[in-house]
Amino acid sequence: MPNASELPQFEDHAKQEHKYTTCYMCACRCGIKVTLEDDKIRFIQGNPNHPVNKGVLCAKGNSGIMKQLSPAKLNQPLLRKPGSERGAAEFEEISWDRALDILTERLAKIRATDPKQLAYFTGRDQMQALTGLWASQFGTINWAAHGGFCSVNMAAAGLYTMGHAFWEFGDPDWDNTKYFMMFGVAEDHASNPIKLGLKKLKERGAKFVAVNPVRTGYQAIADEWLAIKPGTDGIFAMAMIHVLLRDGQIDDEFLIRYTNAPQLVVNTPGQVGDGLLWRDSEGQTQVYDQLTDGFVPANAIDVAPALLGDYNTPDGTPVRTAFSLLYDKYMDAQYSPEEAAKECGIDAETIERMALEMAHVAFQESITVDVEWTDWAGRKQSQFIGRPVSMHAMRGISAHSNGFQTCRALHILQALLGTIDCPGGHLAKPPFPKHIVPPIKPAKGNAPNTPLESAPLGFPTCPEDLVIDEAGQARRIDKAYSWDAPVAAHGLMHMVISNAVAGDPYPIDTLMLFMANMAWNSSMNTAETMDMLRAKDEQGNYKIPFIVTCDAFNSETVAFSDLVLPDTTYLERYDTISMLDRPISEPDAACDSIRSPVIAPDRDVRSWQEVMVEVGSRLKFPAFTNEAGERKYTGYKDFIVNFERAPGVGFLAGWRGENGDQHLRGAPNPKQWEAYEANECFFEHKLDLNQRYFRHANLDYLSLAKDAAWVGSTDQIVIELYSETMQRFRLAGQGLYDGPMPTEERHKERLTTYFDPLPFYYRPLEQQPEDTAEYPFFAVNQRPMFMYHSWDSQNAWLRQIMSQNYLYMQRERALELGIEDFAWAWLESRSGKIRVQVKHMEGVNADTVWTWNAIGKQAGAWGLSEDANEAKQGFLMNHLINELLPARTSAERMTNSDPITGQAAWYDLKVKIYPAAAGEEGSWPQFAPLKPLPGLKMSPRQQGYSSHKNVNLKRTWTDVLGNK
Amino acid sequence: MKLGLAIDLDTCVGCHACATACKQWNTSGTIGPLTDENPYGKDPDGAWLNRIRTYEVDASPHSKTVNMPLSCMHCEDAACVTVCPTGASYKRTEDGIVLIDQDRCMGCNLCAWACPYGAREIDPGSGTMKKCTLCVDRIYDQNLPEDERQPACVITCPTKSRVFGDYDDPESDVSKLNRERGGKQLMPELGYNPVNTYLPPRNPAQRPQGGRMLGKVKQIVNRIIKR
Amino acid sequence: MHPAFSVLIFTVTAGAGYGLLGWLSANELLVMFAMTAAQKITVGIIAMVLISIGLSASTWHLTNPKNAWRAFSRFRTSWLSREMVFALALYPIAGLYAASLAWEWGGLTLWASLSLILSLVIVFVTSMIYASLKTIRQWHTPLVPTLYLLFAALSGGLAFALLLAWQGHETSSLQDFLLLLGLITASVKIGYFIWFRLPSSSTIQTATGFSQHKVGLLDAGHSAPSFLNKEFMFQVEQSKLVRMRWLMFMAAFIAPGLLLTGDGVFGLLAAWLIMMAGLLVERWLFFAEARHVVRLLHGHQQV
Ligand SMILES: Nc1nc2c(c(=O)[nH]1)N[C@H]1C(S)=C(S)[C@@H](COP(=O)(O)OP(=O)(O)OC[C@H]3O[C@@H](n4cnc5c(=O)[nH]c(N)nc54)[C@H](O)[C@@H]3O)O[C@H]1N2
Ligand SMILES: Nc1nc2c(c(=O)[nH]1)N[C@H]1C(S)=C(S)[C@@H](COP(=O)(O)OP(=O)(O)OC[C@H]3O[C@@H](n4cnc5c(=O)[nH]c(N)nc54)[C@H](O)[C@@H]3O)O[C@H]1N2
Ligand code: SF4
Ligand code: SF4
Ligand code: SF4
Ligand code: SF4
Ligand code: SF4
Ligand SMILES: [Mo]
Repeated sequence: MPNASELPQFEDHAKQEHKYTTCYMCACRCGIKVTLEDDKIRFIQGNPNHPVNKGVLCAKGNSGIMKQLSPAKLNQPLLRKPGSERGAAEFEEISWDRALDILTERLAKIRATDPKQLAYFTGRDQMQALTGLWASQFGTINWAAHGGFCSVNMAAAGLYTMGHAFWEFGDPDWDNTKYFMMFGVAEDHASNPIKLGLKKLKERGAKFVAVNPVRTGYQAIADEWLAIKPGTDGIFAMAMIHVLLRDGQIDDEFLIRYTNAPQLVVNTPGQVGDGLLWRDSEGQTQVYDQLTDGFVPANAIDVAPALLGDYNTPDGTPVRTAFSLLYDKYMDAQYSPEEAAKECGIDAETIERMALEMAHVAFQESITVDVEWTDWAGRKQSQFIGRPVSMHAMRGISAHSNGFQTCRALHILQALLGTIDCPGGHLAKPPFPKHIVPPIKPAKGNAPNTPLESAPLGFPTCPEDLVIDEAGQARRIDKAYSWDAPVAAHGLMHMVISNAVAGDPYPIDTLMLFMANMAWNSSMNTAETMDMLRAKDEQGNYKIPFIVTCDAFNSETVAFSDLVLPDTTYLERYDTISMLDRPISEPDAACDSIRSPVIAPDRDVRSWQEVMVEVGSRLKFPAFTNEAGERKYTGYKDFIVNFERAPGVGFLAGWRGENGDQHLRGAPNPKQWEAYEANECFFEHKLDLNQRYFRHANLDYLSLAKDAAWVGSTDQIVIELYSETMQRFRLAGQGLYDGPMPTEERHKERLTTYFDPLPFYYRPLEQQPEDTAEYPFFAVNQRPMFMYHSWDSQNAWLRQIMSQNYLYMQRERALELGIEDFAWAWLESRSGKIRVQVKHMEGVNADTVWTWNAIGKQAGAWGLSEDANEAKQGFLMNHLINELLPARTSAERMTNSDPITGQAAWYDLKVKIYPAAAGEEGSWPQFAPLKPLPGLKMSPRQQGYSSHKNVNLKRTWTDVLGNK
Repeated sequence: MKLGLAIDLDTCVGCHACATACKQWNTSGTIGPLTDENPYGKDPDGAWLNRIRTYEVDASPHSKTVNMPLSCMHCEDAACVTVCPTGASYKRTEDGIVLIDQDRCMGCNLCAWACPYGAREIDPGSGTMKKCTLCVDRIYDQNLPEDERQPACVITCPTKSRVFGDYDDPESDVSKLNRERGGKQLMPELGYNPVNTYLPPRNPAQRPQGGRMLGKVKQIVNRIIKR
Repeated sequence: MHPAFSVLIFTVTAGAGYGLLGWLSANELLVMFAMTAAQKITVGIIAMVLISIGLSASTWHLTNPKNAWRAFSRFRTSWLSREMVFALALYPIAGLYAASLAWEWGGLTLWASLSLILSLVIVFVTSMIYASLKTIRQWHTPLVPTLYLLFAALSGGLAFALLLAWQGHETSSLQDFLLLLGLITASVKIGYFIWFRLPSSSTIQTATGFSQHKVGLLDAGHSAPSFLNKEFMFQVEQSKLVRMRWLMFMAAFIAPGLLLTGDGVFGLLAAWLIMMAGLLVERWLFFAEARHVVRLLHGHQQV
């Protein structure tokens, strides 16, 4: 050890203090430890005890200081100057009192007349437990978060199939998996956990296969990279299913015990009831028991259901097992590796090898966890058998209009291999799994001054659940739960502006946006969206009369707002990451966490959560007021601690009960917040070993889950390979449903085609065959690991990593088209063209071009100078993506989304590319630079941050002169 | 002691966490502040002590993407030190860490010219040379909790691709990794004898495939399996 | 390498100054020209002015010049430090040389010898700042000190001839010698350009450790130019380099050579000015054509 006296005291720790909170540079929600010094941030580091990040931090999390220093931070509420045009960014600064008066007055009027005139949509937030509650208390059905344009395909496919999902509802068993296949993931929400997990895999010598048209980031460290063509993962998965079925490489025990594969399906094509599960008089689904040679309820114990078989029921109805349907479907030659190879670009030999390698691991390298557990029927089991193959998939699957069915195909693949919630497989995270599907129905109507009867969003299982009027027209502004997108479990945020301006299905009064950059990178068709936001009717009134934006920063959307409410930063506010929302649980632990302010705002800002509580109280929402109509909660923190959604169930699960000694469920604890703070701002309830696997059929777990109100009963959660829900909608399309049915031909056609109860492959909707010649390239985006959507271009450190994005394409293809490395080129889709700078690379599917998401900025936004690279050279792909499908008739306004879930089809885009003319440089289109906001600080020319005067390490003269 | 890093190219995903962690720690550390120029304007640039580059190795279809973080290698024969006229640059005898005394540096750039690894950058604010300190102000700060006495980049790396330790100790993690994984020095031909080593990507093993049981599904599926 | 104008001025002007002082001192020892003390002092002062202009220019590129004085401290290892020490040491020596000339103190041979040796040493040491860098193959060669010394002798010699002619001396023999020296220097420079083309042992493969494969840069980790780009990635078109080489040969050798065949102060003045311009181009090329190994990390295949 060096002589301590040679080294100075590096910093004065006595002056420093440490606070814990939760990072929100992105939605991964890592635990952080913040070192403060003179009210300045010295250092933000990962909390090693935190269940999510276990001490590590990503590039963004490490740049929190620069977010706090951002010149784009909003300072004060802003009101569009009377007479000024929307989008011109001319604002006057107003007080919070005035801002809240304006808002409450307007909202009170709407609420008293027609609450759905308020459309309230939230972007990359984690506040859906609060905002959803607020919206239902307000009484508007027009609420949703960003899930509809994000990854509802993944959430819905998972919840409609296995009760949990890829997205944020589950994780691969990083500790035990031996074979991991990842589809279409660049970064994802579990940013740090995925990285920690991949390291574990690679250390163990587990195989990591990356299926992705682009090889960067995670794919760079994959043992095998499959350069698939975008939008074709479905057929790739189904061809692997074909191989497994063909070679008998399936886990029949798993299928019989845990899935609906043996259940009997009515087989009466063309008749009402065809394809529904056959039920007995009690409404109980049935299987064929091979021991008694007869029909028995599907949930009967100690029976031996047949997987394959065609039968006639006592009443003469022909029935088949679901597995028979599945078998016949995927054994069809169209799903053979050879056929699939033609479509997806992965050769047949590889497809086959992938399937058989996984089968080998699943069946020859299975593992066991020896612990006694109780199955759903109350029987003791001595071990968990693990099939250590796992998968993960995200937006490469979901952002296609065939994503729901593709994702279902992946789940079927998992089920055939028996790797769902088993050791080494894909594990659910509490409060998941849920019963299929969660028993929440979307609210259908609203009445003045009345809260909704149920939540605005839910999980339809049949046409009766749709949110449509008597004429079959959409009731919601985004047309979620209409015939356009019946299972739109997260709404269709990308359609709100377009629909509201078109008055289709109706005009609205106020659009309230929280944490969403809808005028720029979160909208399709950006330039036209900006026009829509400015659009006026004949009387000269804005078609969307009033736009309220809550943002913390000067985004492009701020300029298009009438009222701007400045939010705090994540280091400045009280907040919770609740299990009622999107969990931060780990597979082996139920977890939630809080944000506790570590630094005081230096501006006149309020957190949106506080504003929600304030406005809710002013508007006298029942949940926010007592019987006397008085305000119930002093602020958000008070609300978090004391609000109960159901008896004993609140926003936070830890330290409940009056004395703080109850977990998961219990009466509010007035000292709960302090308990969280004392525990570094998170709560972690570890599951016992016997509760950790097969939770869909694990009574030890299900009893706990029921007590915690995560599930409604301890009944087995039966995995639905065969989706009866889909079939109900399909029957409606076929005119064979005993209930609401569509009247328009296009809807009938969509339901009939796409609502297949077993996943099938189809080309993405907008990829018409005739376009393929004209627009030969697929165009997709990736998340950069060091930037979160649009927010980080204001970050002085992160934007140095990237202030300009390129369009990447395969070198040879580019040269064939005469496009040199770094040349400018035109990229054109059916909706328009943009000018981009091209960068060559090797590791990309030859038919695919791609870029980093949301780097391009409008000049003048985000505290950047007008000549910032983001504005002058950076570009947005969004300009080329249309929110509507090409119309076949002028009356058709069909959303460019998955026909089942309404998931925005960002990655269906097809383009052509050609060299720009000499002298054509810089990105295009360019928009007039935004005017600086009043009161916004000038950006410095030079900036060197330090929380204290730096302690220099000095070299002595004797060393200088004496040392060699 | 011969302190340095081992960097695992088999698992580095190029996330830049180590780069920003380094910037964050060191801007208030002994080598800070680390100044940025045009932080919100055209061509933003500043002093970084650790940067991540990405290469494509080999030609399609065998090509591979490799992310390569580069910071000071704390070379054993560090010409950056010998060329320095002011004595600002020095290599500590105790542990081999190469440092720059900010109060001595005159900003002549010569050390940056002498460094093959692009590890030195002039700070536009102070005009002095900056480089990785191996977080000397963390690893020796007795007032930090013991498990935090590690470089900021090492602590933060989400794929644990950075390992810190003493190459003189054959039992240290870095020495072991270097041995077992065949660690490589960059540009060894220049004779700087860099201490940091890079662990090359592993070659994935061939995997067995499940035996084919043609036509068997129909036989096995209706096995008697009790629910 | 990015050619910093201050460094070009420094090496060219100071080089000529040291050359001139060297010639003056050599003349003291060999008495080729019978100069008066006043003439010698004038020449000496002009040499020292050139040197001082050069040295002060060299500080312009320091980004923290307040610490420049510390550059004397690492004489033991640093060529730059050595240069500073010798450059400083020259002043009292040159002063004593001038004083002995002015006041006939004696010891002229000693001071002149020391001035000559120091001038040569300083030029050599300056060149070693560059030649010692293994990171820049184009500099890491004995040809670099050779050329630095030759150019100093040439440009200093031409200045000497010019001043002698101005002082009324007959300089044709010196001019002939300078023609020869020019020819030698030009040949060495041509030799340097030929040597220059040999591949270096450092490639993108050795820089990244992937010795067996083709390697290409996909991303530098920062989208705007960094310090390293600005310092090391200096890039001009090959055609410009070729043009600059021709210009250099024209200005540094051919034009002065032609002018040297004539006589007259103005001819020599023109020859010297053109040569100095040519040497600026030479130094510009010296930097512009030098390729630092950091380029390999930024995707260049070779340096
Ligand atoms: N750093 C950072 N982290 C983030 C975000 C961020 O902005 N920055 N955003 C967060 C949000 S909101 C989300 S939704 C998640 C999304 O996280 P990811 O799912 O990682 O989303 P994308 O970046 O869209 O990555 C899509 C990947 O799929 C590939 N791909 C595209 N089409 C296909 C296809 O058809 N098949 C296959 N197999 N691959 C395809 C693309 O090349 C890309 O690698 O990330 C979250 N995490
Ligand atoms: N072309 C293309 N477009 C895409 C995608 C794609 O892959 N390709 N991905 C889509 C997906 S998955 C998503 S989720 C969306 C993301 O869509 P958004 O969530 O709309 O996008 P962000 O850029 O994250 O913008 C959110 C806004 O939140 C603000 N904000 C940041 N922090 C705070 C805070 O603390 N408080 C408040 N009130 N505001 C804050 C930011 O300033 C910004 O204006 O983008 C979608 N758009
Ligand atoms: S992944 Fe990074 S930005 Fe996201 S919460 Fe974790 S540390 Fe913060
Ligand atoms: S933090 Fe780790 S994974 Fe990320 S770039 Fe640095 S070394 Fe690579
Ligand atoms: S990497 Fe560069 S700066 Fe670091 S010791 Fe080696 S030569 Fe010096
Ligand atoms: S820049 Fe500073 S540290 Fe580098 S050689 Fe010059 S004086 Fe030394
Ligand atoms: S050791 Fe410290 S100074 Fe060096 S790269 Fe890592 S964080 Fe930066
Ligand atoms: Mo998203």
